[in-house]
Amino acid sequence: MAKTAVRASRIVAISVAVVSSLSLYAQRLEDGRRNYYAAVFLNRGHVSGGASSNIGLFKRMSSDTIWHNIYRPNLFTFGIGFWERGATRRYYIAGGNGLHRSTDEGRTWRVLTTWKTEEILSVALDPVDSSILYVATPFGVFKSTDDGSHWVRKMKGMKRWYVQRLVVDRTDRRKLYAAAEDDLYQTTDGGEHWRQLGVGVPGILSALQHPQQTAVLLVGTEDHGVRVTTDGGRTWSGGQNLPQTSFYALRSSSDGQALYAGGYRTGLWKSENLGRTWSLVSPAPNVEAIYSIFVHPDDPKHLLIGTCGQGVYESFDGGGSWKNIGLQGAHVKQIELYP
Amino acid sequence: MRNSAVILLTVLLLVPSVEARAQPSFEQRRQRLIEVVAGERDRSFFTVTAKLVTGKDKEFAIQMLDSLTTDQSIGGMFYSYAAIGSYLRLRDQLPDSLKAKMRNSFRERTMYRGDTENHWVMYYTGLYLAAQTWPNEGRSQWYNGKSSDENFREAEEWLNLWFKTSSTIGQGEFDSPTYFITFITPVLTLYEFASDPVMKRRAQMMADLLFADFAVEHLNGNYCGGHSRDYPEDIMNPLSAPAALWAWLYFGEPQFELWQETRYRPRHRGGWETVFGAMSSYRLPEIIYSIATDRSTPYVHTETKRVRNIIRFGLEKNPPVYKYTYMTRHYALGSLQGGILQPIQQHTWDVTFASDKPYNTIFTLHPFYSGKELAMFFPEEQKFLSDEVDRYHKIYTNPNKWNSSSPFEQTFQHKNTILVLYNIDKGITHPHIDGFFPKNLDERSIDPSGWIFCRMGATYVAFYSLRPYEWIEEEINWRWRSFELMNCIVVEVGSSDEEGPFEQFKRNLQARSPALTGGGRNPTIEYTTRSGDHMKFTFNGPRLLNGKPVNFAEYKFFNGPYLHSERKSGVVTMTYKNHVRELDFDKATIKEWQKLQ
Repeated sequence: MAKTAVRASRIVAISVAVVSSLSLYAQRLEDGRRNYYAAVFLNRGHVSGGASSNIGLFKRMSSDTIWHNIYRPNLFTFGIGFWERGATRRYYIAGGNGLHRSTDEGRTWRVLTTWKTEEILSVALDPVDSSILYVATPFGVFKSTDDGSHWVRKMKGMKRWYVQRLVVDRTDRRKLYAAAEDDLYQTTDGGEHWRQLGVGVPGILSALQHPQQTAVLLVGTEDHGVRVTTDGGRTWSGGQNLPQTSFYALRSSSDGQALYAGGYRTGLWKSENLGRTWSLVSPAPNVEAIYSIFVHPDDPKHLLIGTCGQGVYESFDGGGSWKNIGLQGAHVKQIELYP
Repeated sequence: MRNSAVILLTVLLLVPSVEARAQPSFEQRRQRLIEVVAGERDRSFFTVTAKLVTGKDKEFAIQMLDSLTTDQSIGGMFYSYAAIGSYLRLRDQLPDSLKAKMRNSFRERTMYRGDTENHWVMYYTGLYLAAQTWPNEGRSQWYNGKSSDENFREAEEWLNLWFKTSSTIGQGEFDSPTYFITFITPVLTLYEFASDPVMKRRAQMMADLLFADFAVEHLNGNYCGGHSRDYPEDIMNPLSAPAALWAWLYFGEPQFELWQETRYRPRHRGGWETVFGAMSSYRLPEIIYSIATDRSTPYVHTETKRVRNIIRFGLEKNPPVYKYTYMTRHYALGSLQGGILQPIQQHTWDVTFASDKPYNTIFTLHPFYSGKELAMFFPEEQKFLSDEVDRYHKIYTNPNKWNSSSPFEQTFQHKNTILVLYNIDKGITHPHIDGFFPKNLDERSIDPSGWIFCRMGATYVAFYSLRPYEWIEEEINWRWRSFELMNCIVVEVGSSDEEGPFEQFKRNLQARSPALTGGGRNPTIEYTTRSGDHMKFTFNGPRLLNGKPVNFAEYKFFNGPYLHSERKSGVVTMTYKNHVRELDFDKATIKEWQKLQ
C-alpha cells in the first residue's frame, strides 16, 4: 500500500516535472522570437550632457544573459512602446529628446516631436490606428493623429499640467486614463475632454487597468500607497496592508489573477483579490525602489523588476528567490517583451 | 521736449562693422587669450581651435580633434555647438577625412538636448549651424532621423522663441556668473556663422543684451547681486567665476590676467570657451563698455526675470523674479526677492567689494533642500531627486552649502540697506542660517551695540542680527550661524565716498537698533536707515518704504540710468550720457543715436 503510494507520488512528480519542463521549453521556444527591452533613465555617475554612461534603450535576447544598448547611451529614456498589426511593427522610445520611433526593428530611429513637446515621460498607442499617438509630458498630454507629424496639446478639463502616465482603456480605444499631478483623469473622446476621477489623494504616479475586469483600476500614488476602484472610478479605496509610501510600478499577470505593486522602499507586493488586500512577496529583493515590474505572459511565476540604480532582478518562482540579471547601476523605468 | 529732440545718427545697423569700435586694448587682450589657450593641453574644441588658428602644435591638435570626433563616450549639447563652431572655423585647413568624421558625429551620436535653458541654447545653436552646413540631406543622414531642412527649421524656431522670451520676460537662468558662458559662447558662435542675415542680427542683439545685462551689475570683473545659478566657489570668490574671464576680455576688468593667479585659476582650467569670443568678429558696442566700467555715480538698477519652468506644485509656469541692485565704485549690494526661484544653486543676495583680494563678498542664506523643491522643476521621482542632484552637484543636501534657495528667506532692499527675514518651519532638516564673512576682511569687529562692523578697503559693512548667533572658523572664512528659526538680518553698506572714515560710519549706526515684532507666520521688521528712510517688512506680507508699499508689479523689465525696458515690450534701450542704443527684438533692428545736450 505504502509502496504503491510512493510509486504513484513519484509518477505524479515525474509527470509534473515533465510538464513543467515542456512548459519551460515551450516558453523558451516562444521567447526565442521575443526579446526583453528595458528603458534605462539614469545610471550611476551619469550627468546630463556629460560623458555617456549606459542609459537609453537596452535589449536582451531571451537566450542571452547580456543586455545590449541598442539606442544611444546618453538618451534619458523614460518609457517604451510597441505597436504591431500584421507585418507592421513599430517601436517607440519616450525620452528626453522626444518621442522616437523605429519601423525597422530598432535599426534606425526618428524623433517625431519637436521642441514644443519637451521630455516625454510615457507613450500610449491607439491599438488599431498606428497614426494616433499620445504622449505624457511635464507640460501635459499631447496627441498626434498623423503618425507624429503634428502634435496638439490636449488638456481641456485638466487642472495641472504634469502628467506621468497614460493608459488606453482595453475596451474603448477613445477612452484613456492620465496619471497626473493632482488626480487620475479620464477622457472618453480621445483626449478632447478630460474629467477628474477623484482618487482622493494627489500625486498619481502609475495606473493599471485590470486585464479582464476592466472597471477595476489601480493607481500608485506619491506617499499614499495604492488606491483601487472596482466601479470604473466612481469610488476609490486604499489597498490594504500596503505601506503609505510612493508606488511607481503596477503590473498584472496576463490572466489578472495576480496584481503586483512596487515603489519606494516597498519591496514587491502582490494582490489576488483585485487590489483590495496585499501581501509582501517574500523574500523581497533588497532594492531601494522598484520602478517597473514585468510578469511573463506565459508564466505568471516568472517576474522581472526594474530598480532604482540596481538594475534588473529576475525570479522564476513568483518572487520567492531573485537573481540580479544585469544593468547594474541602472534606473530601469520599464521592462517589456517584444519581438 | 528737449529729451525727445534726438538726432538719429545711425538707423538700423545691419552691418556690424559700422558700429564696431574696439576698446583701446581689446585687440591685444583677445590676441593674448588666443595665444594662451593655444598653449594649453586639455582636450577640448576650444583648445584645438586656438591651436589650429595660431598654427601651434598643429599635429597634436589634429590628433586631439580626431579623438574628439571618434570618442563615442562624449556627446550632447556641450559637444554639439562647440564641435560645429570648431568645424566652421577650421574647415579650410582640416583634412577631408577629419571633416568627414566631424560630419559623421551629427549622424551617429545623439546630441542630447538636455533639460535646462542653457542646454537648449547650446543644443539648438549646434543643430542650426550643422543643418545650415550640411543642407539638403535626408533623414537617414542625421542622428535624430530628421532631414536637414526639418532640423534647421526646428532650431531656428526655438532660437527665435528664446530671443523673444529673453527680451520680454527674461531668462530663467539669469545673471549667472557660472552659466553666462553657456549662453554667450553659443550666441557668438551663431553670430559668427549664421548665413541668414536676420538670424545673425538677432544673435548680435542677443549678445548685446547678455553683455548689457552683465554690464549694469558689473564691478571690476565681478558679476554682482542676486543670481539664478552659481557654484559655491564662484559665490565665495566671485572672480573665480567663468563670467569674470569674459569681463576681462570685453570690459577690460579686472586688469590682471585671471589665469595667472592661482587663487582664480582652477575654474578657468578646461573652460576656455572665452576663446570663441576672442576669435569672433563681434565687437562690444562702446556704450556697453561704458556702462560696464563707469562707476563714477552710484545708482539703483532693477530688473525682472523669470523663474525656471515650473512643472509641478505651481499654477504659473514662469513667475517673475524681481531684482534690485545698488552699484557704486567701491561695492555693489544686490538681491532677489527671496523664496524658491531656482532649484539647487540660487544666490539670493550679497555685498560685493571692488577689491584686489579674493573672497570679496558677504552674504547669508538658509541651506534648504527638498525633493519636492526639485520636483517643481525636474520630472523625476521626488524621493530620489535630492540624491540624484547630490551625485553631481555634491553639496545640495549639505548643511554647510553656500548656494541655496529657500522658501523661508525673503528680502527687502532699499539702496545700500537690506533686510533679510528668515522664518523657518519647525522640522526642517537644516534649521539654521549661515553667513559668509571672509577672513581677509581688513576689519571685522563685534560692537557692543550688536552691530558687526566689517571693512574691506574703502567699503564698510554693518551687519545686525536680531536674534542670537555664533561664529565658526573655517579655512577662508568665518561662518556666521544662527539657529533661530525666526530671525532678521539688517545690512547697511557704505564707503569712504559716502561716509568718510570708518569710525564715522560706525557712529552713525551704533544708535540704531532694528525691532522684530509679530510672530508665527508673519514676523515684521521695522528699521530706519542711516539716511532716514523707514523700512517695514513683513514675511509673506508687504514691504513698506516710508509708509508706501513697494509694488513689484510695477517693476520694469530693466530700469536704471543705463538700461530701460518695459516688460514684454521686446525693446531694450541703453543710455550712457547722450549716447543711446535701442534693440528692438520684434523688428530685429538696432538703432543708435545721440541726444542733444
